[in-house]
Amino acid sequence: MSVSRDKSDLSSKASHWHLRKRQIGQLALFVAMVSLACLALVPFVWMVCASVKPHSEVEALHFWPRNPQPANYLVVLRQRDDPHLERKLDLHFGKWYFNSFFVSSWVTMLTVWTSSMAAFAFSRIPWPGRDKVFLMYLATMMVPGLVLMIPNYQIMVSLKLVNTYQGLILPGAFSAFGTFLLRQFMLTIPMSLDEAAEIDGASHFRTFVEVVLPLARPGLITLAIFCFLGNYRSFFWPLVMIKDDWLRTLPIGMLSFNSSYGQQTELVMAATVMCVLPLVVLFVILQKQLVRGIQLGAVKG
Amino acid sequence: MAALCFLAPNLLGFLVFTAFPVVFSLGMSFTNWSLKPTVVTRFVGLRNYVDLFSDRHFWFYLYNTVYFMLGIPIGIAGSLLLAIFLSQPLTVASSRSRFVLGGAMGCMGLLAVLFLVIAGRVELALWVGILFSATLVGILTGKVGFRTLFYLPNFTAGVAVFLLWMQLYNPHFGLINGMLSRILHVLGMGHVELPAWLSSTRSLLGFLPLPESFNCTGVGLGAREAIMIMGIWLGVGGNDMLLYLAGLSNIPLELYESAQIDGAGVWARFCHITWPQLAPTTFFIVVMSTIGGLQGGFEMARVMTEGGPAGTTTTLSYYIYTVGFERLDMGYASSISWFLFLIILGLTLINWKFGNRYVGIS
Repeated sequence: MSVSRDKSDLSSKASHWHLRKRQIGQLALFVAMVSLACLALVPFVWMVCASVKPHSEVEALHFWPRNPQPANYLVVLRQRDDPHLERKLDLHFGKWYFNSFFVSSWVTMLTVWTSSMAAFAFSRIPWPGRDKVFLMYLATMMVPGLVLMIPNYQIMVSLKLVNTYQGLILPGAFSAFGTFLLRQFMLTIPMSLDEAAEIDGASHFRTFVEVVLPLARPGLITLAIFCFLGNYRSFFWPLVMIKDDWLRTLPIGMLSFNSSYGQQTELVMAATVMCVLPLVVLFVILQKQLVRGIQLGAVKG
Repeated sequence: MAALCFLAPNLLGFLVFTAFPVVFSLGMSFTNWSLKPTVVTRFVGLRNYVDLFSDRHFWFYLYNTVYFMLGIPIGIAGSLLLAIFLSQPLTVASSRSRFVLGGAMGCMGLLAVLFLVIAGRVELALWVGILFSATLVGILTGKVGFRTLFYLPNFTAGVAVFLLWMQLYNPHFGLINGMLSRILHVLGMGHVELPAWLSSTRSLLGFLPLPESFNCTGVGLGAREAIMIMGIWLGVGGNDMLLYLAGLSNIPLELYESAQIDGAGVWARFCHITWPQLAPTTFFIVVMSTIGGLQGGFEMARVMTEGGPAGTTTTLSYYIYTVGFERLDMGYASSISWFLFLIILGLTLINWKFGNRYVGIS
């Protein structure tokens, strides 16, 4: 705004009009953004309101419960008896929470470990046939995940890993995408650093741990975020892999929750709030890295 | 040798869980492989693929998948619009007066909500509260705050959010029909029949002369539209918007300045600068959404509709799941997934060929 005021060649009236127009434009833009933000938020507000409604009010059109009943959350967490069944729910929501975090953390750790090592081999050490093997990795990234699911299920049956944590964790721990992402990232680190380390007598392993890994940290964080989120949300694989309620992760747990207690909307919504909440917290903490990661992935890929 | 040590853990997993399955499933798509213990697996040649062509379910579900993909251009346009909004300079207040203004707005909002609560208008208080909080976020954090709010649906997407939307779409007490009926009442059209959303087989393309096996019952808003609208709500402020934001920030400002000197209006500047400059980004987004769209729809179908009503929300990915893991006919499921891969490959190549030319010119 100050720029237009400085322009001395414009008559003061025209400049004033210009300023006015810009202010109106700014206001209109602001109003548009606020209304769009409300549109994004309203379903979540409805969810939170419905989660504290008593059962008699769930079907009412008003948002805010007349008689709030936060005990719905305790019912879902099995701390209270379900008022309709007069006993605790048969499902173990707390355990699903643990399972989701447990499986996602393991997959993330393993993926970052295997992918960073492989990316180091693909980007920093010359060896015969390197580019051909890398091309093979790239080629499989084109194949839809669905094509792989059926044989992977058969492999898990043969390894007797159906309905176990290992069955959930293992197939996710080796990522062609992660290797690709980190390789691209490591290529941007100057090779002269490796050479300097080599002259100082460092082994490949020391170069990897002490030179390349610290510099590749932003890439590692990006991969870790993508991987954790992908597994926290993962649906297809746990759905075919897990049969016991005790081993369910949150998404498929929610599915069974809905099929058993779908009539009690307030309980489903309380469970939904608890599912979404960690994501919102994670997002607020990690959004800077996440945004950069997504934009980085597109520029390079 | 050293390289092999570094590569070994990943390569082993890659061979077992990616490379081998690719070969294995291609091989099995030529057999009658089934998980039923009574069936003996044997080679059947191209029979699965021939069956596919005469499988009227397959064509119906392919149509559904393509129908859902009609939401992609709408989503891309929305993402671009949001990104353009977010890239505009937004100076609601200078950094000094921001806190004063924010504080004033916060106090006003709080007072208004308190007043309404005391007056017994709790419902209205809630709406005013939402509005004031969004405004406050905008004043205090500016564009970052808006970006966060726009991105939130995409970030939380998953089974939980699908369950939430199932409730919103409830024809009797859901939020959406509640709103619609209020709006229609205000407009004096209270007698208009409200859409049944997830339990309706109508579609906006219901007027097309489709085969009877496609289960179309006329024009209207049905399950497919419900899922599409939800998909747009989820995706519009998501990754595509972030990619467009990055693309917009890379456009040199001099281009706009010289266009402004030449007297180009907003629309002309968009057509001749923004859109061509964003062509590589758009190209990337179109390719990725096409690939994603053809494989998509599984979670929504499984969670919200179980593929129904009358199969109208069954996409190819859900069909593969039902054939493979419910009918246990793994050979046929493999052949569908490979056929899907061929479609994806073909479309990607077409995108590549024509897209590259388009991107190259601009």
